[in-house]
Amino acid sequence: MMSETEKFTEDILSNARGKAQSIIDEAETEAQKASEEAKTAAAREAESIMQGARADADAVKRREISEARHRAKIREQEEKDKIMQEVLERAKKRTLELVKDESKYSPLLTHLIESGINELGEKDVMIHLNARDLKTITSLEPKIARFAAHVKVEWSREPIEASGGAIISSPDGKMRIVSTLEQIFDALESRLLIEASKSLFGE
Amino acid sequence: MSGLETVKVIVDAERQAAKIIDDANAQAANIRKGIGTGIQEQRQQMLEAARKDAAAIVARAEAEGKLEADAYQKESAQALQVLVAKASTRKDAAVEKLLAIIMRAEK
Repeated sequence: MMSETEKFTEDILSNARGKAQSIIDEAETEAQKASEEAKTAAAREAESIMQGARADADAVKRREISEARHRAKIREQEEKDKIMQEVLERAKKRTLELVKDESKYSPLLTHLIESGINELGEKDVMIHLNARDLKTITSLEPKIARFAAHVKVEWSREPIEASGGAIISSPDGKMRIVSTLEQIFDALESRLLIEASKSLFGE
Repeated sequence: MSGLETVKVIVDAERQAAKIIDDANAQAANIRKGIGTGIQEQRQQMLEAARKDAAAIVARAEAEGKLEADAYQKESAQALQVLVAKASTRKDAAVEKLLAIIMRAEK
């Protein structure tokens, strides 16, 4: 039979064991909880990494395609420019060759002089031509006189540097309308490019 | 058992009880310490795995993007060929049209 002393010491040890167990249990519960919380936090971090990666992936894919589109657009524009420039050059060449075809050039020159006189709006005008056209003044004069009866026309004897066309100026040269073929072509260039684009590409 | 012996037995028991508690506290401290290291390792593993997956996702998207870009490039090159061929047949007409504009000298 257990003595009173033995029972007393057994109680002391039993209490100690119980307390020890609850200390360990508490630590394990705490550890378990901390582990769960850490796992959740790490899962959140991992998900955030994945979300970032998905966004990066979309961006990378879009960038690849967008760059390809951009390259294709540039290539297309280069090809179009090449064709338009070729057409423009051919048109320019044909324009400069016009002077050789009297039946086409003469009405053009007359028209340019008429427009220049009207645009200048002066009563006295001086018309400047290149060396070749200066030789045709005799045939030009009656045509000009028809629409410029109210204007005193003088013909400059100094030839201009141009393939064709004319410069119409006030006698003192302070006002001038430049209608040489080169200038006409330059002035029309942007419009010609638009028209060429419409004709060639339906744009 | 004499009174002295009884006291001695009780004091021993108290000493043992204190040791049991101390041992338990030490074990609890070890558990807490161990979980700290475990959590760190587990976190590193999870993040490392996520980083690997993330890199794979981006690499796959890049490869897909390149494939789509290549396909687009081929399609657009074909379309451009058609466009150039069609435009070539229209060059003469375009030159005539420009010439007509120049002849009218409409600036």
